Amino acid sequence: MRVLCCLDGTNIEQVHKAVSTMLRADALIIGIVYVIDSGPQGEIERQRERFLRRPELPSHRREQMQQAEITAAEDILEEGGRYFPGAELIRKEGRPEREIVNTATEWAADLVVICPRSAQSAGPPLGPKSVGHVARFVLDHAPCPVLLVRPIAREVFPIPR
Amino acid sequence: MLLFFHLPPLTKTLLISLIAILTLIGIMVRPFKWNEAMIAMAGAGLLLIIGLINPLDALTVLLNDWNIFLFFLGMMALSALAEAAGLFDWLAAQAARLAGGSSRRLLLNTFLLGSVISMVLSNDATALILTPIVYTLVTRLRLPVLPFLFACTFIADTASFLLPVSNPINIIVLTTFHLDLWTFLRLLFLPGLLVICINIVVFFFLYRQQLKGSFDAKRLPSAAASIRHKNYFRYTCTTLLLVALAYIIASATQFPLSLVALGGAFLLLIGALSWKQITFKAIGGQISWSIFGFIAGMFIVVRAVEDTNLTTQFGLLLLHLSGGSSLGSVLIGTLGAAIGTNLVNNVPMAVVLTSSLRGVQHIAPSTQLGFIAATIFGCDLGPNLTTVGSLATILWLLILRRRNLEVSGLDYFKIGILVTPLMLLAGALTIWLLLP
Repeated sequence: MRVLCCLDGTNIEQVHKAVSTMLRADALIIGIVYVIDSGPQGEIERQRERFLRRPELPSHRREQMQQAEITAAEDILEEGGRYFPGAELIRKEGRPEREIVNTATEWAADLVVICPRSAQSAGPPLGPKSVGHVARFVLDHAPCPVLLVRPIAREVFPIPR
Repeated sequence: MLLFFHLPPLTKTLLISLIAILTLIGIMVRPFKWNEAMIAMAGAGLLLIIGLINPLDALTVLLNDWNIFLFFLGMMALSALAEAAGLFDWLAAQAARLAGGSSRRLLLNTFLLGSVISMVLSNDATALILTPIVYTLVTRLRLPVLPFLFACTFIADTASFLLPVSNPINIIVLTTFHLDLWTFLRLLFLPGLLVICINIVVFFFLYRQQLKGSFDAKRLPSAAASIRHKNYFRYTCTTLLLVALAYIIASATQFPLSLVALGGAFLLLIGALSWKQITFKAIGGQISWSIFGFIAGMFIVVRAVEDTNLTTQFGLLLLHLSGGSSLGSVLIGTLGAAIGTNLVNNVPMAVVLTSSLRGVQHIAPSTQLGFIAATIFGCDLGPNLTTVGSLATILWLLILRRRNLEVSGLDYFKIGILVTPLMLLAGALTIWLLLP
C-alpha cells in the first residue's frame, strides 16, 4: 500500500501517530510530500503592482526568498524522514492543494494522509470550517481514499442535541 | 479647439469629461493588462491632440509640480541605495533578534520597524522592500507567513501620514495646500499613532492562534551577514539620519522636500559608486520610470477637467455633503478619499480631490483644514481596504473563487474590510477633535 503523507511543517507527529497506529507498518510504502506555497509570492507581486512597479521581484530578492523556502522545505522533509525512515521525500512548489492531488496521482498513492489544517492556523476544531482549504480541496479531488487526521478535541463535546 | 475647429463650451466639457472618465475607468480596469501609466498618458495625449487642453497649460502644470516628480525620484533612489547597503536586511535581522524567540514579539517588532521605515523612507520602502525580507525571515524561522506578510502590507499605509515624507500622496496634497509642519503633525501624527495601535491590536487578536508558538533563534541569519560593505553601510546609516533630520527642518521651513530626498540620494549614490556597491544600470532598474508618466498624465487630465469647472462642482458637492461643518468635512473627505482610492488608485484620487478642494472658495478655515487632513488620511490609509489595489482586482479574485480556485488575495480583503473601516473612523474622529 502506497501512503502519501502531506506535511505542513507542524503536523509530523500527528501524521506519524495516525499511520503507525492505524496501518500495518510492514505493508506500507511511505511517501512524504511538502509543497512550497507559491501564494505568498503572488501576494508580493500583486502588492508591487499596486505601487505601480513591475510584478517581478528583483532577482537577488527572488533568489533569497527561494533559498529560504528550499531550506525550510528540506528541514521539514528531513524531519519527516526521521519519523518514517526510508520514506520517499517529495518536494513540490505551487499551490499546495493542487500539487498534493497531482502528486498523489503521479506517485500512484493508494491513500493520502492529511491534517485538516495547519496547527498554526486559527480554525475551529470542529464543524465545516475546521477543514482548511487545502484539505478540503484534497478531500474533494484526490484520486484515492483520504485519511483526515483530526486532532483529538473531546472537550467541545457533547454537541447540542 | 478641436483640431483647430472651434467647439461650443458644452461639447468641450462633454468631451473632456468623457476622456477623463474613460481614463479613470481604464486605470481601474486595466484592459489587456495595460500599464496605468500608458492609460493616463493616452488620456492626456488625446486631450492634447484634440486640442482640449493648451499644450502650454499642460507644460505649465508639469513644471509647477516639479517638487512632486523629483520627490518620487529621490524617494525611490534613497530606498534603492539603502537596500544596496543591506540596511533593510540588517534591520529585519535585528528586529528578529530582539524578539527573543517569541512570535508575538516578532510581529510587534515587524510593525514597529515598518512604521519607522514608512515614516522616514515612505510607504513604498516598507511595502516593496521590507515585505520580501520579512517573508524570507519568517520562512527560515518556520513561522506562519501570512500574519507577517500582511503586517508589512498594512503598516506601510497605516504609518504613512506620520510625516509629510511618509507617503508621496502627502507631497501631492501639500504642494497645493502649504500646511506647515506643526499643523500637519498636530492633525495627523496622533491619529497616525492611534491607527497604528488599532492595526496592531486587531492583528494580535485575529492571529492569536498562529502567534502562540516560538521560534528557534538558531535559525536566524546573522545580522552582520546582511552588511555587504561595512564602510558603505555606516555611510548609509549616517546619511539617512542626516536626511531624516533635514526632512524635519525642510518641512518646518517649507523648503522643497524633493531637494532633500534628491540630495540624500545623490550622497548615497556617490558612496555606493565609490565603494562599487551599485551601478547606474542597477539603480536605474530599481526606479519605476512609468510612475512619472502616470502622474504626468493624471495631472494633465485633471487640469483639463479643472477648465470645465467640474472639479469645482465636485468640491462644492463635497462641501454640501459635509454640511459645512468641520466634522462633516473630515468624515466626508475621509470616506470619499477611501472609496476613491479603492476604485482607482490613490494617486489620481489625491490629484482629483486636491484640485476639487482648491476650486472651492468661501469655505471656513477649519472646514478646509478638515478636508485637507481627511484627503491625506483617506488617500493614505484607504488602500488598506482592498490592499490588492483596486476594486477591479477584488472582483477578479472573487470570480476566481467562484471557479473553486483558492485565492489568498481574498484573505487580504477579509482583513482589510475588518480593520480598515475601524481605523478610518477612529482616525477621522481624532482628526476632527484636533481641528482648531
